[in-house]
Amino acid sequence: MQLNNKVKKILLVDDDIDLLEQNKLLLESKGIEVFTAESAEEGLEKFKEVKPDAAIIDLIMEQHDSGFVLCHKLKKTDIGKQIPIYILTSATYETGFKFSATTMEEQKWIKCDGIINKPVILDELLSKLNKFYE
Amino acid sequence: MDNNYPKILLVEDEKGLRIGTERLLTRKGHSVKSAENGTDGIKLGLAEDFDIALIDYKMPDVDGLQVLKEIKSKKPSTVCFIVTAYASYETAIEATRLGAFNYILKPFTPEELLHQIEKGFKQRKLLLEAEQLRIEREKNLLEIAHEKSRLNTIIESISSGVLLINREGKVVYFNKACLNKLHLEKLEIEDYILDKLPIQITELVNKIFNNHTVHKSYTTEVEIIPNGELIIDATCSPVPHPDGTFAGVVVVLKNITGLKKIEQLKSQFVSMVAHEMKTPLAAVLGYLDILVDPNMNVTQEKRTEYLNRSALRLKSSLDLVNDLLDISRMEMSTKKREIENIRINEIINNSLDVLELEINKKSLTIEKKYVENLPELKIDRDEVTKIINNLISNAVKYNNVNGKITISLNIENNFIILIVEDTGIGINADDQAKLFQQFFRAKNKQTRAISGTGLGLSIAKKLIEANHGKISVESVYKQGTKFIVHFPFK
Repeated sequence: MQLNNKVKKILLVDDDIDLLEQNKLLLESKGIEVFTAESAEEGLEKFKEVKPDAAIIDLIMEQHDSGFVLCHKLKKTDIGKQIPIYILTSATYETGFKFSATTMEEQKWIKCDGIINKPVILDELLSKLNKFYE
Repeated sequence: MDNNYPKILLVEDEKGLRIGTERLLTRKGHSVKSAENGTDGIKLGLAEDFDIALIDYKMPDVDGLQVLKEIKSKKPSTVCFIVTAYASYETAIEATRLGAFNYILKPFTPEELLHQIEKGFKQRKLLLEAEQLRIEREKNLLEIAHEKSRLNTIIESISSGVLLINREGKVVYFNKACLNKLHLEKLEIEDYILDKLPIQITELVNKIFNNHTVHKSYTTEVEIIPNGELIIDATCSPVPHPDGTFAGVVVVLKNITGLKKIEQLKSQFVSMVAHEMKTPLAAVLGYLDILVDPNMNVTQEKRTEYLNRSALRLKSSLDLVNDLLDISRMEMSTKKREIENIRINEIINNSLDVLELEINKKSLTIEKKYVENLPELKIDRDEVTKIINNLISNAVKYNNVNGKITISLNIENNFIILIVEDTGIGINADDQAKLFQQFFRAKNKQTRAISGTGLGLSIAKKLIEANHGKISVESVYKQGTKFIVHFPFK
């Protein structure tokens, strides 16, 4: 699948340096410019600096809700309101966590534009991005 | 009692008659004891168990009726005769009222006396038999009463709730434990209970009512107080009448809140483990996918890096599995603790040898500060090795390049105090509090590249506490961490 020409820069925030590297590689193979951050704090700085066309944020970083908190902050910015922000997670009720972001209600509460389950399936991600920028 | 010859008491003040009677009866084979006045008669009659008493009516000290009364009151089955020359209707009535079997008129012939004695002896046998039956019956009744109160006591004192419901759905019996199991204020016999029971239990009771089966029991779990505050297990079993027909349902209620909590903790643990296992495997799989994908342009240098990262992540999975096996061994106590005398400095040296490569890689300095004449520890070698390896390898892993590890051994009271101090990344106060929890790992920029299972310190703590010691931590974020272990040596 090819990506529309509106998504040129993506910000990835993940504290697992291996997954970060792999997802970066996947997206770069589609010609996207990828910026990475290894913590929520760094993610916020990079976001302001890079002004990406989309952001993918890991849920559990320093804290169990680091991803949510960052997402909230980004959605308060002008750019954040215009671009898709996805939460990356493998945490669900099934894996024993008290919170899962699988229902619409939960996603609304998080204010994100969607949940991406690990591992990232590139085609699914691309179709999500295409749909957002239709 | 001799079945053929009665044992006879003879109370007679008239010497001639007494001796004559005694001789007559003895000759017939009876055993006779005599008293020559009323007082002795009473004494003898109460002291021994006579089959028959022959009591003279008129005696100078105590009269025959008094003797009769005394003997009958204490020995009701002794058959008594009043012997009298003053027979009158009134005497006879009075004697009978006081319990005499009959009266014998003076003078009497030997035949008359023997005949009366024979009759009296038959009566005595009947009385004894009746007495025996009465005692047995009373004993049985007592046993039944005992049994009943014992059963009651047992049912009242068991911690499970027991509730008996008849066919009309009314309470027939319940013990106190029922009330707290069902979280009810009160319950009365004859109360209609089916609308008071949790619906899950009522359903089972109705199922038994409808089926009228007399063998099948049903069990359900009910959350009585929300949020897992009180969970019970209710087993409903049909109760048959003695003839086998259906009488009602007995409900046994057990508190399983504790069990449920353990179950929950267990499944939480399992999902934590699954999550912790999944993360490194997913990372490795991700690299492999990239490496085998011909469309990915990956430089040779990057390929090597990805393989090294994969190996590192796999090693952390392996560490995790090993830690889990340690925990399971500890919790199942499959390995017996073998206490021996251990020189702790030797264990420390072994551990430093094992970690030499990593220590050199980071150019760490090791300083040892040991007091002299350290006593030996009485401890399991494997366990103390695991504890020390864990602490020193942490001091290496979380240290900075060119850092320092200080290991000191001191004595305080009955404890050897081991301190392992590093000059590494440190732990912030929030994280220090959670440090010994299973699967806790401080997550920050510094720890990201360091592999760990989050189990090591929790295992070390368990092992130290199992050996009656204690562990604590002092740390300054970005400056270093100090683990202090107290090992008792006495």
